[in-house]
Amino acid sequence: MARATFQVEILTPEGEVFNEQVEMLSTRTAVGSIGVLANHTPLLGLLEPTELRLYRSESEIVRFAQGEGYIQVGENRALVLVEEAIAPQDLDEQDLREKLRVAEADVASAEEGSEAQRRAIRDRRRWQAFLEVSGSSGG
Amino acid sequence: MSQRDVKQRIDSVKNIRKITSAMQMVAAARLRRAEQRIAALRPYAGAIRRMTRQAAEAAGGEVAGNPLLAQRESESNVAIVLVTADRGLAGAFNSQIIRAGLRAAEDLRAEGKQARFYATGRRGVSSLVFRKLEPVGQYVGFTERPAYANAREIAEDLMAAYVDGQVDRVEILYNGYISPLTQEVRREVLLPLQRATIDEAIAQAATEPSHPGHEHHALVDYEPEPGVILQRLIPDYVEISVYRALLESSASELGARMTAMRSATDNASEVIEDLTLEMNRARQAEITQEIMEVVAGAESLV
Repeated sequence: MARATFQVEILTPEGEVFNEQVEMLSTRTAVGSIGVLANHTPLLGLLEPTELRLYRSESEIVRFAQGEGYIQVGENRALVLVEEAIAPQDLDEQDLREKLRVAEADVASAEEGSEAQRRAIRDRRRWQAFLEVSGSSGG
Repeated sequence: MSQRDVKQRIDSVKNIRKITSAMQMVAAARLRRAEQRIAALRPYAGAIRRMTRQAAEAAGGEVAGNPLLAQRESESNVAIVLVTADRGLAGAFNSQIIRAGLRAAEDLRAEGKQARFYATGRRGVSSLVFRKLEPVGQYVGFTERPAYANAREIAEDLMAAYVDGQVDRVEILYNGYISPLTQEVRREVLLPLQRATIDEAIAQAATEPSHPGHEHHALVDYEPEPGVILQRLIPDYVEISVYRALLESSASELGARMTAMRSATDNASEVIEDLTLEMNRARQAEITQEIMEVVAGAESLV
């Protein structure tokens, strides 16, 4: 039996990338992985880079490499506000590897405890997450 | 000039006109897309404002304590970010930013302060390198079509330099987009971020249409607590400001190039007209010369 659905809008600085009814949304906040179903309690969360999954049905899943951002849930709608939401097939694995390499070098060379180092750690985490999404798409 | 030389020049100017008119059309098409990207940022920026309001209300309104908002007592090192283009052929687009940047640096020096340059666009980078003012941060290869990731990279470099104390203030200079025909040089302070910027965003959000879940914040789950969310929202304002500057600059660049190429095309048409007149005159002179020779020859036979 089909589950109840709710509206999900994904908005990035470069425009809207998704606005549809889905059965479930899964992503990761600063606290941990979450799955959002219809009629979820109101929520405001910090999103960490991960694979964002939107279940149109149990078998039809739309996936994105999701950057840092926010999620707001209420009134049976969800707004996902992220810096990036990239379809797996649009990820450039080689480019991501290069970015990850630079971030790792920056983490190592930056002064311990500096903002430059914290920033490099954020970059490293993002490119790692994107690489995982790119790898799991088989491309 | 002989008739043949003039004809050759006409052909070459016609070729130039073909190129400038193609460049004008390409710039016009890209300008439309650049305008769309500026429009596409608005809903995102609005949603960030509304989330800031919600997080600030839930956190008790306190945004203080964020290092990006901390004003330094002495601002001895000032970062100047010059937003230029990768390419030229756009009138005064690049030179007016570079000139304004050099003047700003001179003013700072006169006050006993040190300027550190950051530059986007190959034109700005190479101008500074040529003047032995090597930019600390160099960002090239995207000026016609900047992505948010480009803005984030620049903003994060600047914020890290600010928080780690390498610079005490950050200013950005870019061509603000007014219309395809009009751009203006804008100079804005990026850091320290003004408390007023956040307060105004919160006030503006109150006037905008509501969003899911906002009415009942007592019942809202926060992951993590609203104070942490609020602190994470603050750097977004710097990123969005940099992104907006890059977008406006790209629209301005394309507008300037379109205008420059239109006048180049018009000039070429004028030159072609003048040369065609000249060629006709040369041809007429040659014909007259030949008739005179024929007449003279005939007369000598009489």
